[in-house]
Amino acid sequence: MLNRRIVILAGHFGSGKSELALHLALAGRATNGRAPVLVDLDIVKPYFRSRDGKQLLEQQGVRLIAPAGENLYADLPIIVPQVRGVCSDPGQPVIMDAGGDETGSRVIGSLSDVLQDAETGMYLVVNFRRPLSATVDAVVASANRISAAARRRITGVISNTHLMDETTAEIVLEGHELAGVAARRLGVDLVALAVEDTLAHAVRARGVDVPLIAINRRIRPQFDGPKKPRTTGPLFVVA
Amino acid sequence: MAKKLMKGAEAIGEAAIRAGCRLFFGYPITPQNEIPEYLSHRLPQVGGTFVQAESEVAASNMLYGAAGTGERVFTSSSSPGISLMQEAISYMAGSQLPVVIVNIMRAGPGLGGILPAQGDYLQSTKGGGHGDYRLLVLAPNSVQEAADLVIEAFDLADYYRNPVLVVGDGLIGQMMEPVEFKDDYAPVRPLPPKTWASTGHTGGEKPRSIINSLFLDPEVLEKHNQALQAKYAEMEKNEIRYEGYGLDGDYDVLIVAYGTVARVCQTAMEELEADGVRVAMIRPISLYPYPSQAVREAAEKASGVLVVELSAGQMIEDVRLALEGRRPIHFHGRTGGMLATPEEIVDKVRRIVEGRGGKS
Repeated sequence: MLNRRIVILAGHFGSGKSELALHLALAGRATNGRAPVLVDLDIVKPYFRSRDGKQLLEQQGVRLIAPAGENLYADLPIIVPQVRGVCSDPGQPVIMDAGGDETGSRVIGSLSDVLQDAETGMYLVVNFRRPLSATVDAVVASANRISAAARRRITGVISNTHLMDETTAEIVLEGHELAGVAARRLGVDLVALAVEDTLAHAVRARGVDVPLIAINRRIRPQFDGPKKPRTTGPLFVVA
Repeated sequence: MAKKLMKGAEAIGEAAIRAGCRLFFGYPITPQNEIPEYLSHRLPQVGGTFVQAESEVAASNMLYGAAGTGERVFTSSSSPGISLMQEAISYMAGSQLPVVIVNIMRAGPGLGGILPAQGDYLQSTKGGGHGDYRLLVLAPNSVQEAADLVIEAFDLADYYRNPVLVVGDGLIGQMMEPVEFKDDYAPVRPLPPKTWASTGHTGGEKPRSIINSLFLDPEVLEKHNQALQAKYAEMEKNEIRYEGYGLDGDYDVLIVAYGTVARVCQTAMEELEADGVRVAMIRPISLYPYPSQAVREAAEKASGVLVVELSAGQMIEDVRLALEGRRPIHFHGRTGGMLATPEEIVDKVRRIVEGRGGKS
């Protein structure tokens, strides 16, 4: 599935890249070999970034590469030099969380000299319930702009349609079908279906043709979920 | 329309379009940049115009000019940008122009930080600019409510010929939640024709329409002020909005909170109720006019009141005015972009119940 050393998550704004990146980084630590490094390249949005899981990641032995000190909270296009280091380190698994749209993917383009094609996969995360990417046409157009800005072909599509707490198996599968159409139009494989763990069983029961990534949603506003431990940041619940 | 997963800023932008607004003037500032970004994409699709001005001062004066034509006009900004707009806002209030302004508040003072805060309550409700004027101020607690209130704000602005301000902390702009827009949009009340709009003097029977806030004759200016005050009195009578949580039952502590921090309080209330602590909440939705009577009546059923804000204590002044010393008022506030946690609220309410709440 996502069997490249460097996994880049790209996609339209708000498609779920950060949540998926956190999940893959934490899940990756359980496999044999070196723990993955999570690179937060989000220069687009100021809130709800994967770096908000810093403390949790550190506890779990996953290194986070993101701006340091008070710049962690800045909305500035900061690309820290360590990014190039881990990309050039053979045997170091890397999960890269790009910012939204082509604006966010431009950063990937600037790293093309250290991203070897054979070991790098750029996956398009799609949520068909987002307003500006609600149709196959819009997703394909956005994918082409992202690909051009990143100066890299898209390796595959990850279906991630949801409505947060109002998600149903139908919503997931409806989006999954559209994601399949978009992948065919782009000439790439639909490589996985991401779904919140509480719905994984129901979705699996309906028969899905690709591997399922069951996500424990961690990036939540403070008021969400009364009894769960809150481990990070001034802002966000990462439980 | 099927439910979409929208960021607050996108929902606010879409709401403006659904309300028939086709003109936006603004200048970017975090954490509300996605409002202009969304509208820069959407407005041309519906035949509208998006202008990124050279500053907030310019944007707010463009808003003044465009509002004078009777078109529905909109701007959004965040705290420091809203400060820059205050002069034009006073002029728009003085000229009785219907405009909608959204302030996605960040932490201050000064440039401050980009994380959520509610430090602009006093600026919003007590006159941020000069002169005797009032804005109608609405404060949503969710993305859906933000969208609904923005649509309503355009109607209210037209109805009262007055600027309407919708305020949210940074989370209202930045968080994503499911949103549904109704397909059958209708104004909340019949709206008068805009005979005042400056759309060209054709020489016929239409009187000259001059948009103006300059009245050099003191008698005329006082009459103008009296008319404005009568309008504000009408708003105070008709536009009070709030939501109550558990107000019908018995409770010892009443929480007063608005915006997303009221949702933190709701989470805390669930935990407190599970432990047998009797607590209720009132959430003002209109910050001006303030639901003083509702707050007073709700407070009188409690033995103590807790005001929770993402500020050092601003709305608490309106709670004090509403209660006139009838009940002890306690306060819990966070500043700088720090969010109150449910645990903090639970702890504070417990202390109040045990008589260790500390007085404000």
